[in-house]
Amino acid sequence: MTPRFTARSKVAIAGFAQSQVERHAGVPLGALAVDTAQRAIADAGLSREQIDGFATGSLLPSAGGQTIVDGVSIVTSNWLAENLGINPRFAAGFQGYGQLVGAVMLAVNAVAAGAADYVLLHRALHNPAGRYHQNVMTEASGTAQWVAPQGFWGPPVTIALPYNEYLQRYGASREAMATVVVEARANGARIPWSYWHDRPLTVDDYLSARVVADPICILDCDIPVDGVAAFVFTTAERARDLPNPPVYVAGYAQGHPTTPRFPLHWALDDIMGAGVETARRLWEHSGLSRRDIDVPQLYDGFSPFIYFWLESLGYCGLGEAHRFVQDGAISARGGGLPILSGGGAIGNGRMHGVPQMLECYLQLSRRAGERQLPAADVGLACHSSPHFGGAALYSAEPL
Amino acid sequence: MTACEQTTDVANPLPVPSAPAKPVPVPDDRSAAYWAAAAQHTLVIARCTRCGRYALPPPLVCTGCLTYEPELEYAPVSGQGTVRSWTVMRDAFLPGFQADVPFVLVDVELDEEPELRIIGRLVDGPDAELHLGDRVSVVFDDLGPGVAVPAFELVRA
Repeated sequence: MTPRFTARSKVAIAGFAQSQVERHAGVPLGALAVDTAQRAIADAGLSREQIDGFATGSLLPSAGGQTIVDGVSIVTSNWLAENLGINPRFAAGFQGYGQLVGAVMLAVNAVAAGAADYVLLHRALHNPAGRYHQNVMTEASGTAQWVAPQGFWGPPVTIALPYNEYLQRYGASREAMATVVVEARANGARIPWSYWHDRPLTVDDYLSARVVADPICILDCDIPVDGVAAFVFTTAERARDLPNPPVYVAGYAQGHPTTPRFPLHWALDDIMGAGVETARRLWEHSGLSRRDIDVPQLYDGFSPFIYFWLESLGYCGLGEAHRFVQDGAISARGGGLPILSGGGAIGNGRMHGVPQMLECYLQLSRRAGERQLPAADVGLACHSSPHFGGAALYSAEPL
Repeated sequence: MTACEQTTDVANPLPVPSAPAKPVPVPDDRSAAYWAAAAQHTLVIARCTRCGRYALPPPLVCTGCLTYEPELEYAPVSGQGTVRSWTVMRDAFLPGFQADVPFVLVDVELDEEPELRIIGRLVDGPDAELHLGDRVSVVFDDLGPGVAVPAFELVRA
């Protein structure tokens, strides 16, 4: 199929860096970002002076109402450029859900348009002191007035409603999800920078974990962390002259439902309706299909997103994912569909799409070490929910 | 005297902290009529006077015909609906609700229009048996003088 995306294979990732993922880093987030950015630039075989573009999505995904301080609780493109001593030709931040895919779109478009030659994309995530989502508001104004007065607050209940609707509608069980969470943690345990390194999980651990909002337990949620990742994007031609094997961008897609809803009310039919459209756009944009993908990295910031992405992308029918994932079907080490080979969010920590993108990069550039998959030619990196988030496609060779 | 005893003054005991307050809604230009009606235990929903579409929260622009504010009005609704989903809150991220856990929130589709959805507390409590499609009717939780929030109770056949 002819891609609609005219920049397919014209932009590539030339290098990366990933910080340790920790509950609380010993240094301010901005310092971690500056360090990680410098390591990514060096990894790409470049010098700081060559970086002329910046892209990120800087959201702190907390419902806690914390005071946001650039360089401390978030790191914007402009903050990072300034603190690297660079006056960039291009600096942008993505607003909205699916921040990492949004940032990739900004970086790729900037390179393809010639707005910058070398774009540093970073994502910095912070775990503030105190309970992550706890909010001490006593007055609910603005959008909060529609939900806080009845106690509907925090992302776990956002996912609890569609997940319960899924369980009830399709006769799925909480036990079925243990397969997903245990697979994520098994793979995360093999990743040196993961918060969960060397700490796999058993089915019993999962089923005995504290329930937050039925049917969501604490282990269905990724754990808040401090961490930074950075990638260098440039043109395919320039990337071929740099030390690492280029990983080419094949396309991307995003979505946004139009039904009015209360804030953070994500209804199952909204997720799946707009999610199927996101997938259709992805194939149309890239000229690829699901069958071309050998490294599909699905987003799992909450475990039910795995079901929603599997079904949106057409790996199985609606309502079938809870059965599809069983019996080794998603076992990265057992020859199954490696949807969580990079550990995902549940196996790394709340890095908001970074584990998915990084696994695509590492596998397609043949830099995954002992975790290298035998077949790794086309990768898919998802972020957020299929209806509000998005996905990017990568290839090891130009298409 | 131990360090522990030094911190305790029998004549002036440490104040017992009062329970954290629940957030009360702060009406604005578009929501004032909603909250005023709720205080009278009536559920009203913003409706477009041109195309008749309901919307919650009240939109700046009607998603049906793109009409804007002055042509949206609040209309009383039946308060009857069906359960599309529910959850039992076992942790509260708002401290004012911590003493209430476990409590049930229901995602209700109101009868007036497909996909017109509202989320409220289910007053029947966490032991009530629930199914998708169960019928519910609006009730109101009084938060204080002149402040009430829509909630729901099961309608038993």
